[in-house]
Amino acid sequence: MSDFWSACLNQFERELSAQQFNTWIKSLRAEDEAGSPRRLRLLAPNRFVLQWVRERYLGRIEDLGTKFYGEPVSVSLGVCNTSDTTAPAPIHAESGPVLSQSLPPATPLSTNTASTGAGLMNHISDPAYEKTRLNPGFTFDTLVTGRANDLARAAAQQVAINPGTSYNPLFVYGGVGLGKTHLIHSIGNAVIANNPVAVVRYLHSEDFVSDVVRAYQNKSFDAFKRYYRSLDLLLIDDIQFFSGKDGTQEQFFYAFNALVEAKKQIIITCDTYPKDIQGLEDRLISRFDWGLTVQIEPPELEMRVAIVKKKAEASRIQIGDDVAFLIAKNLRSNVRELEGALNRILAFARFHGRDISIEVAREALKDVIGATNRQITLDLIQKTVADYFKIKVSDMYSTKRTRAIARPRQVAMWLCRELTPHSLPEIGDAFGGRDHTTVLHACRTVVDLKTRDTQFNHDLHVLLQTIKG
Amino acid sequence: MTPLQRQLLLGLRPDQPRTLENFVAGRNGELLRGLARLTVPENTGSYYLWGPPGCGRSHLLAAVTRLARRPAVLSSADELGHTWTWQPGSLLAVDDVHTLNDDGQATLFRAFIAARNEGLSLLLSGPVPPLELTLREDLRTRIGQCLIYEIQPLSDTEKAATLAQHARERGMALDEAIVPWLLRHGRRDLPSLLATLDALDHASLELKRPPTLPLLREVLQLRLETE
Repeated sequence: MSDFWSACLNQFERELSAQQFNTWIKSLRAEDEAGSPRRLRLLAPNRFVLQWVRERYLGRIEDLGTKFYGEPVSVSLGVCNTSDTTAPAPIHAESGPVLSQSLPPATPLSTNTASTGAGLMNHISDPAYEKTRLNPGFTFDTLVTGRANDLARAAAQQVAINPGTSYNPLFVYGGVGLGKTHLIHSIGNAVIANNPVAVVRYLHSEDFVSDVVRAYQNKSFDAFKRYYRSLDLLLIDDIQFFSGKDGTQEQFFYAFNALVEAKKQIIITCDTYPKDIQGLEDRLISRFDWGLTVQIEPPELEMRVAIVKKKAEASRIQIGDDVAFLIAKNLRSNVRELEGALNRILAFARFHGRDISIEVAREALKDVIGATNRQITLDLIQKTVADYFKIKVSDMYSTKRTRAIARPRQVAMWLCRELTPHSLPEIGDAFGGRDHTTVLHACRTVVDLKTRDTQFNHDLHVLLQTIKG
Repeated sequence: MTPLQRQLLLGLRPDQPRTLENFVAGRNGELLRGLARLTVPENTGSYYLWGPPGCGRSHLLAAVTRLARRPAVLSSADELGHTWTWQPGSLLAVDDVHTLNDDGQATLFRAFIAARNEGLSLLLSGPVPPLELTLREDLRTRIGQCLIYEIQPLSDTEKAATLAQHARERGMALDEAIVPWLLRHGRRDLPSLLATLDALDHASLELKRPPTLPLLREVLQLRLETE
């Protein structure tokens, strides 16, 4: 297996930039799995690298394995267990009682690393990066800008260059799934890229609430306060979850005051404008106005297309404009679901070994948007077939047996059998009380004709598409 | 069927554990392969499966959590209350997410928030695609970000295979004519078909008669009369 991993390293070194290779691939440690010649275990320095490799490079490693051995190999991923022991000592937080489980010691990334143009990439494989809880995939480079977020982005970049001094707090609000989290992670990552010793922490409001509860339970408010006041940049997501939680709001109020006073940056996101947040103390709301409030709006079609393409690019997949438009047209309201749809298409194409064409995308999207989910009833089928063949719906249950009527009736019976769980006697009943053997005969006739008559087959295809939506 | 002829049954059922192997794949091969990966430790993908009742959602959720080589918890929506604890790296499965109450939704939302940092995988199911779920929007869109699969219904041939397998598991020596007859005369959704087969097995044991077509007709006739 070590030969294979060496070959893999050589290949990736050719395919990737030096920075990408060093950050994601070279930092992996390969282990043979005992007694299994076709099994490789790769250990990443932390969970972020693990996740990144899984999302972007695992498929390629498996492909290379198949080429190398001529048969599939099994590659598993894990995290090295040694990360925490090598973390440098905190510089801001005083040493003292052990903090609660979710409060890792506030730790600068690496005190002896100079800030260079390579920026963030140099620090991701540093075990201390994990403690920031930032997502390395969310950067300004991967953030698509359009009319919906250009002001927010400009403000965010300003804050990333001058944290604590330009706009404090930066308050970002907007609807669900529009990229607020991506934007604030971008700030965190940019701050680290510019200043590796900055102590950055991202957390969701729910996590802050849990920390407060735990501090109450463990009577560890000193450690709690010390931790939050030691941060250089606090990114807190979905502040609306503080609504009605007075104890949490009080603790946040003190932390907020201490950080702003010390010129440390706070960035907040919320689903509404500060003054519209229900159940939040006025003294907090008024403080949110101290800095700058920016909105993120829903992206327009072109921006959604650009987002889809950018996300595909991040997965090292090229997709055509037609596919990107198809996704963007079907999922309008938020970015998360665009990503879900794209991932589904990628999984489908990969499983079936097909290129990502518009047909493949349409097929895969059926699962996402539920094209077949309309309630299909016997009545619906009878009406659709009657309309298609321009006969009356009543002819479906009449006793007429001319071919112009009997054939559409047979088609409708076949569709009822294919698209509904009704029994054949029930279907027969719906067609004027016919016997189940008549339905069976109709189904056999249609199956037979389908293979012999192209036009008839086309009619069936159109009807199936119409009824299934 | 006179009461005198009846054999009293112990009510023992040879319950087969739900596995991915005893789920007839049909056109769900891609999904099954993905779900098999979900059983592996440290796989952080999340899935949402949807389809009408009886399509096999619960079977798959139970199978994946049972087979998982990592901590795994399966919870029905009505069990999911305000508190839900998990170990890092767990696989968390929730069936019927459309019926989650406010507390359950808040809990599932917290699981989504924790997923990245704690290496969790979520496996969820419901009757409709995420776009049609009426849940909190921040939760609904996160479900929409999962890998979404509609469970494809089985063809008649695949249903026949499932019924034959079910009969084998129950030790029924099934008359060959029964499955085609059931598919022609009964409701053809899988739960109805399996329930009919179970009723036939019950009658066969009770009356000490082989599970033949005439017995099946009698069973269905009796059911019709008592309904």
